[in-house]
Amino acid sequence: MAIRKRERSFFDLMDTYFEGLEEEFDRWRESIMDMPSWNEKTCAMRPLSDMKVTAREVIMTVDLPLTLESSVQVKPLDERTLEISAEMKRKIQFKELGATHRKGEFHKLHCHKRVPVPVDMDKMHVSYKKGILEVHIPRKHER
Amino acid sequence: MSEIKVIEKAQIPIGAVMLFGFPDVGLVGVIAASHLIEELGLAEIAYLDSRLMPPLIVLHEGLPHSSIRVFGNDKIMLAVSETPISAEIIYQVMDTLIEWGRSKKVKLMVSLSGMPIEDRQDAKELKVFAAASSPETLKTVKDKGIEALMEGYMVGPQAIMLMRASQIGIPAITLMAQCFLNYPDPESAAEVLKGLATMTGMKVDIAKLLEKGEEIRLKARDVMQRTQQEMTKMKKSQEYDLPVYVS
Repeated sequence: MAIRKRERSFFDLMDTYFEGLEEEFDRWRESIMDMPSWNEKTCAMRPLSDMKVTAREVIMTVDLPLTLESSVQVKPLDERTLEISAEMKRKIQFKELGATHRKGEFHKLHCHKRVPVPVDMDKMHVSYKKGILEVHIPRKHER
Repeated sequence: MSEIKVIEKAQIPIGAVMLFGFPDVGLVGVIAASHLIEELGLAEIAYLDSRLMPPLIVLHEGLPHSSIRVFGNDKIMLAVSETPISAEIIYQVMDTLIEWGRSKKVKLMVSLSGMPIEDRQDAKELKVFAAASSPETLKTVKDKGIEALMEGYMVGPQAIMLMRASQIGIPAITLMAQCFLNYPDPESAAEVLKGLATMTGMKVDIAKLLEKGEEIRLKARDVMQRTQQEMTKMKKSQEYDLPVYVS
């Protein structure tokens, strides 16, 4: 007897889609955690960051402690990627971070952030308060 | 027999106040605990040992230590974890610590934690809220002028602490200072310590904590990132949900 395959509802498809996204996000996050949050060669540390996608814009925050506001740079590398960097008020050595077995010092925080939806980088708005960088980028809705 | 053991290293005080500072939002509890240990000169008096815990030790001054330890003096016991506790073992860890605390006749349990708010960087002042294990403790909280968290969800070690303490009749409070969700928040840790002073009279100088705030934020990035992973597994975002009242 032939078994008729049950048709999947819209909600089933959406569930599958979001589960896939969640798995992808977990894989990405684990791959980030497998890398150190610092780079001895470039003397840079990777800052913590957060991103929120709303209907109108993408809001990104980056924690930039011990940095000078005047040194913060937010540069679009392409339509979807931002390069963020900031010089520290002073150089930080490994031993100050509790790692006495490593040699090296850091003088900047640096990261690349990829935006998951099309945005208008030209209309980006940037602010900095208490060492937190906040970037607002309007979304570009394709017609 | 419990799969997690408390190994005592020193004389354990009887009738002390037991504090908890575990990795959670803004690392408020861990930063506050670390400051208390330094300011009050608390010594390690016990630690947790278990094969349920990841194969991880913390090296301090060249010597191995458990990642979950209890510091103390004759009046305080402070349980602190230097790494996030996984959702899979959080119940066993908390049950073991609470049962051990009960065996030492602790008079009060206080969990130090945070409450994330939107646009935290724009906040001019950070409020401290409290939740309590019994009507009597809730009254004490209110009498001391700390705003009680009357409705809502709580997720994480502080939630287990409050529930277990309520079940076994130990007065317990969870103090939560408004904070960043995903960034280490020393200012919030300072506020929760002010709340602790109000509740227990346990005063500590917070000037150094605020002075070193930026260095702490830089140092705590890795622990914060790993804590985020565990918070996701514990469905921490449920704390934002509006509760459905069932009376």
